[in-house]
Amino acid sequence: MPTTPESDLYELVRPAIDPATLVRHVRAGQDGAIVTFDGFVRDESHGRATKYLEYEAYESMALAKMREIGAQIHEKFAIHRVAMVHRLGRLEIGETSVFVAVSAPHRAAAFDACRFAIDLLKRTVPIWKKEYFQDGAIWADGEIPPAAPKTKPAS
Amino acid sequence: MPSVFPSVRVKILFFGRVRELTGLTEENGEISEGATLADLLERYIQRYPQLAGFRASLVASRNQEFAAWDTRIAGGDEIAFLPPVSGG
Repeated sequence: MPTTPESDLYELVRPAIDPATLVRHVRAGQDGAIVTFDGFVRDESHGRATKYLEYEAYESMALAKMREIGAQIHEKFAIHRVAMVHRLGRLEIGETSVFVAVSAPHRAAAFDACRFAIDLLKRTVPIWKKEYFQDGAIWADGEIPPAAPKTKPAS
Repeated sequence: MPSVFPSVRVKILFFGRVRELTGLTEENGEISEGATLADLLERYIQRYPQLAGFRASLVASRNQEFAAWDTRIAGGDEIAFLPPVSGG
């Protein structure tokens, strides 16, 4: 399995994410660009006013999958460092749930890698979000990971 | 007691909707040697019929890797039935 550089950062955290720290983490003299993705809690979902969200994860597997994504973008794009952090627990409107920062000598690779990373995270990392509304709560629809497409469970 | 079909011990983890529907976060179980992930899921669906409606949306993992339903379970495996993921 491809590995990720020591200087990368992959974390699941409960306290608030501080984007500035993560941007500093990936910023180095040899780079010329940093692209970041800041995903935060929206105040509505399918037209219903959201009160707050709760995230949970299969933590050991989620971290392993985040590192795999990191390894993939290092392989595919000419980038330098990656910081990828997802928050768990209760999050209020406007709080950052996921942050990805990618540095590179040139901007194109940083843009492409950051987009690729967040798209893949949403499809393959075992994290779940429950949305709380005034009148109840639901698990977000989510995506079925393209995991093992060959067989289905017996029906 | 010795048995014709020896069983193996596995750990099963539950997350999200599956955790809520079963009320379980983690349990150790025994299953016959050679059983598949689909067999194990079937056993939970019999115990928790409310899972049946979500069967088509679940993906299995074995030792923290996504795994096909026909994967055979080995002793000491860590198994989970994962609902659609919604991080981000």
